Order: sequence, then C-alpha cells, then structure tokens
Amino acid sequence: MDRIEPASLAGVDTSARDALRSDTDEIDLIPVRTFWQLARQRFMQHRLAVIALFVLAILLVMATVIPLATGIQYRLSDLRLINDGPSLTAPLGYDEVGTNIFIRLAKGTQSSLIIGGAAVLIIVGIGTFVGAISGYAGGWIDNVLMRMVDVVLSLPVLFIILMIVSFFGVGDIRVVIIAIGITGWTLAARLIRAEFLTLREADFVQAARALGAGHRRIILRHILPSAMAPLVVAAALGVADSVVTEAALSFLGYGISPPDASLGNMLNKVRIYFFSAPERILYPSVVLVLIVLCASFLGDGIRDALDPRQRIASK
Amino acid sequence: MAAYVFRRTLQAIPILFGVAVIVFMIVQLAPGSPIDRFRTPRVSPAQLEALTRLYGLDQPILDQFVKWITAFVQVWRRDAWGYSTLDGQPVLASVLERVPATLRLMGLSLLVTIVVAVPIGVLAAVKQYSWTDKIITTLATIGYAIPSFILGIYVLYFGGVVLKMFPLFGMESLGRGGGDIFDLAWHLVLPVTSLAIQQIAGWARYMRSSMLEVLHQDYVRTAKAKGLPRARVLGKHALRNALIPIVTLLGLSIPALLAGAAITEFIFSYPGLGQYFVQAVGVRDYPVVLALTMVGGLTVVLGNLLADVLYGVVDPRIKY
Repeated sequence: MDRIEPASLAGVDTSARDALRSDTDEIDLIPVRTFWQLARQRFMQHRLAVIALFVLAILLVMATVIPLATGIQYRLSDLRLINDGPSLTAPLGYDEVGTNIFIRLAKGTQSSLIIGGAAVLIIVGIGTFVGAISGYAGGWIDNVLMRMVDVVLSLPVLFIILMIVSFFGVGDIRVVIIAIGITGWTLAARLIRAEFLTLREADFVQAARALGAGHRRIILRHILPSAMAPLVVAAALGVADSVVTEAALSFLGYGISPPDASLGNMLNKVRIYFFSAPERILYPSVVLVLIVLCASFLGDGIRDALDPRQRIASK
Repeated sequence: MAAYVFRRTLQAIPILFGVAVIVFMIVQLAPGSPIDRFRTPRVSPAQLEALTRLYGLDQPILDQFVKWITAFVQVWRRDAWGYSTLDGQPVLASVLERVPATLRLMGLSLLVTIVVAVPIGVLAAVKQYSWTDKIITTLATIGYAIPSFILGIYVLYFGGVVLKMFPLFGMESLGRGGGDIFDLAWHLVLPVTSLAIQQIAGWARYMRSSMLEVLHQDYVRTAKAKGLPRARVLGKHALRNALIPIVTLLGLSIPALLAGAAITEFIFSYPGLGQYFVQAVGVRDYPVVLALTMVGGLTVVLGNLLADVLYGVVDPRIKY
C-alpha cells in the first residue's frame, strides 16, 4: 500500500490520514453489520432460544387461527357427544359437557397468552417507571419508592390477587390482568433501578447532560435503551408468572370461569378425570409448561442477543 | 446482635402497616359492602341503615381504618379479629385452630426441600458438565417450569389413584380423632411431596451455582494444594461457605411457599389456612379475608427478618 505523497506534503505528519485510509480498506473487506444483524446472529447461537421461539410461534398461530376459524364453538356443548372419543374434527375428543377439547385448548391458550402479554405490559410499565425514577433521582425519592417496593414485596401475593379478583368481579379477564399486573412489578422495578443507578454516572450520560439534555431525554433516549437486558429478563419472567398465576386462579375457580376457556379451568373438575380420563389432565398441563419454558428460554436468548458485549462465535 | 435484631424488627412495623393500608384500601375500593348479605326484600331500608351505623360503615374511611387496626392488634382479646360472617365464630380462634396444620405442611416441605436439594445441588456442582450435572440441571429447569398446582394434581394422581397407597384428601381419616401421628403422617406424604418438588427444583439450581462459585475461590485451591482429603475440602471448606447465600433463600421462598401451600391445601382438601382463605374469599367473609391476608403479610415479613438475622449468624464476616 505504498502511496507516493505529493512533494508539497513531504515532512507533514500524515500517519493519522494513512491510518484512516488503511482502516477504510479493511472495512471494505468485512461486510458492514448493523446492530440488529449482530443481535440476530447472537440470538441464533442460542439453540434453546431458537427452539423456544419456534414452539411459541406454533402455539401463537394455533391460539389465533383455531379460535378464529371455529368462532364460539369452544363454548357450545352437545349432549350427544359427551365424552366422545377422538375424531377428525375433534382430535382430543369431547369433555364431560360435550365441548370439543381441542378447540377449548386452543381458546384457553389464547386467553393465557393474552393475559400473559397484557399483564406483562403493566408489570414492565410500572416497573420501568418506578425503577427509572428511583434509580435516576436517588435521594429521598429513591428511599420512598423502595420502601413502597418493600411493602408490595411483603404482600402475600396469591391472597391479594384472589381478593382483588373475587371482590371486583370473578371471571372478568380485565380484573385478572390488572390484579396480576399491579402485584407483580417489584422485580422489574428493582432490576431497572439497579441498572439506572450504575448508568446514571456513565460517561455517555454525563456527556448528554453536558450537552444540555433534559432529564426526560436522558432517561428515555440515553439510559433506557442501555437498560434493555434486565427489562427483557423481567418481561420474560413476568409472562411466565402471569400465565401460571392466571391458570392457578382459574383452577381455584376465581379466574376465568366456564363457558369461557382457560388452561386453568380445564382442570377444575380434575377429580373426575382421575378415574375416567387422566389424559385430559395432560393437555392443558403440557401447554402451560411449554409456555413457561419457552418464555424463559426466549428471554435468555433475547437478553444475550441485545448485549453488545456478548461475543459472536466465528464460523 | 440483639440491637440489630431489635432495629430490624422495628423496621418491619412500617412495612406491616403498609400491608394493612393496601389490604384495607382494596376492601374499600371494591364494589359492594359487608351489609349486602342482609339485603333481601324483607329487610327495610331503615333497618339496613341501622346496620350500616351499627358496623360503623357510615364513618369516614380514616376512622374506620383506625378502628380496625387498633382492634386488630389487640390479639389477646377473643374478638380482636371480629367474627366470621359465615359461621359467626371468632376469627382469631378459627385461624389459630388451623395454624398448626399449615405450619406442619410448610415446615415439613421446607425440611424435605433442604435435605434433598442441598446434596443434589452440590453433586451437580462438583461434577460440573458431567452427565449427572446435565441430568440434574435439566430436571431442575423442567421442575421449576411446572406450575405448583399441576405438580399437586399429578402427585395426587400417581400417589392416590395409580399407586392407591395414599389418601385422596383430608388431614386425618374420618372417625379417627387427632393425635394419631401415623394417620397424620400418612395424609401428609402427598401434600408435602408436591409442595417440596417445585421448591427443590429452585433450591437445587441455586445451590449448584452457589457451590460452583465457592469451588473457584482461592481458599479452596489452597486447601486442595495442601493435600487435604477431597471430602474435607468439599465438606469443610467449600460447602460451609456455599450454604451462606442459601440462608437468604429461606426468607425469600416464604411467599412462594405460602402460595404453594394454599393451592396444595385446596387440591388435597387439607384443612389449613390456605383452604380457609379460598373458601372465605368466595363468600366475601370480610373479617376472615382481612385477617388471613394480614397473617400472610406477617409470615412474609417474619421470613425476611429471620433470613436477615440468620445471615449474620452463619456468616461471621458480617458485622452489624
């Protein structure tokens, strides 16, 4: 790469310019990868996360397409079909009130995913808000907010959720979502706070402050994007927890009640199944466990993918 | 030490007060009122109004709260927690009657959890990346992902229906009054197993990572280099230090244990506090619901307190 310099520049230090040039040459050789391309590569390295994404996608499609295609069939019972065996239109047979188990399962998965998604929005929303303000402001504001977190952490959560649901309306999906959401945000708040506490003093935040950025801009545009990793972890845990809590509530008879479908209320009459149809316990259980496992694996995968410090294995 | 325990106990009081405020607010915000159960066509509006006044429901919310909380803390009085609207019994007595059953269930589960999870976690850590480790880690991950009520259902199914070895419900056999320890134990096997399994999964994972961290410490390498026998290095140098963070888990697992116990009691028709709560909340038995939620909050706070104090006891490096 010898270059002949014009005579007029002889004696002038050109090393900086040369370094720049040779850098440019190097970059031409390696394809430019954006942040998202890198993230995708890091994600694909996570085998379990990829499988989890795949399984979750299948569940999501089933939970969307089947209820759409079958309408209100999930709540229609046919007395002639009570405990009928599997057939082409009902791969899992009919239950003790004569409704199609497969369609009910799909509809139940749908309610689980809706509740998981909606509750986690509340969890992440409140958690980020409280955690960000607490970690950024510090001082007495932090103190007050953290004592509030302590109180919420000391609540016997299941009791409180049962109380809210039964007092404000059994079987109302909105009440279930809100009850789960407003009791579950403490972990998210703590994780976000910890991240804000360290990032508050980081150089790039100092720089933004020096440039005259306001608090809102620093929090939303500078710190929050860097605090994505704990947010993703909190969200994944939140989805899993919410789905399980809803199922437990419906199982106890306080969440979603029949004829509406839920993975939990499919197990309401579990004692009948023990002796007549034990396989019916399995269907909703498997779907529930799959959702929980996939949510946590996917969370791990996304967290690592979004972390620029994670290395990409060379091929 | 004593000063620390005292200070830490004082700190628990405002937290419990906060719990009381939240619980009271939920009841206040909820639609409906405790006198709704008297609302039938045969009861005149004047009588309803008299009832409202009798129960003090016409007073400002703050007054009602103060009245409730001052009565609530006077636990030496029989009527401190009011009377159940369902059966008219004093709530305090009904709760105390059921405390031993729940404590037995939770305590035994915790004991089983520790006895099983600690060796499993240590084994996985010592044989890191071996097949034993992989199997344990995989089982723990799956066990952790299975919701506690599904575990309960399956434990009941296999123990009670498939094996036909254990009773399907209850705390003691019908007609056999309390005191028969074998009968009680026989009824406890399945509930304790189902409550313990999920705890074991979480604890074993925690124990594994805690042990791994200790195994990489300098003092463990020194102990090995000195030529100490392996059992001594693992048991005396590594395990003792690896157990320290586990103590924190003791306090942190109380809320999950409490919720798990409630669901387990419901599945096994086991007459403890959780089952009592599930029943009471369905019929809006306000005094019982309020009392049990406060008892739950107290349990959680005490659990955290215990963990903090124990942490200082087991780790001499901690100074207060």
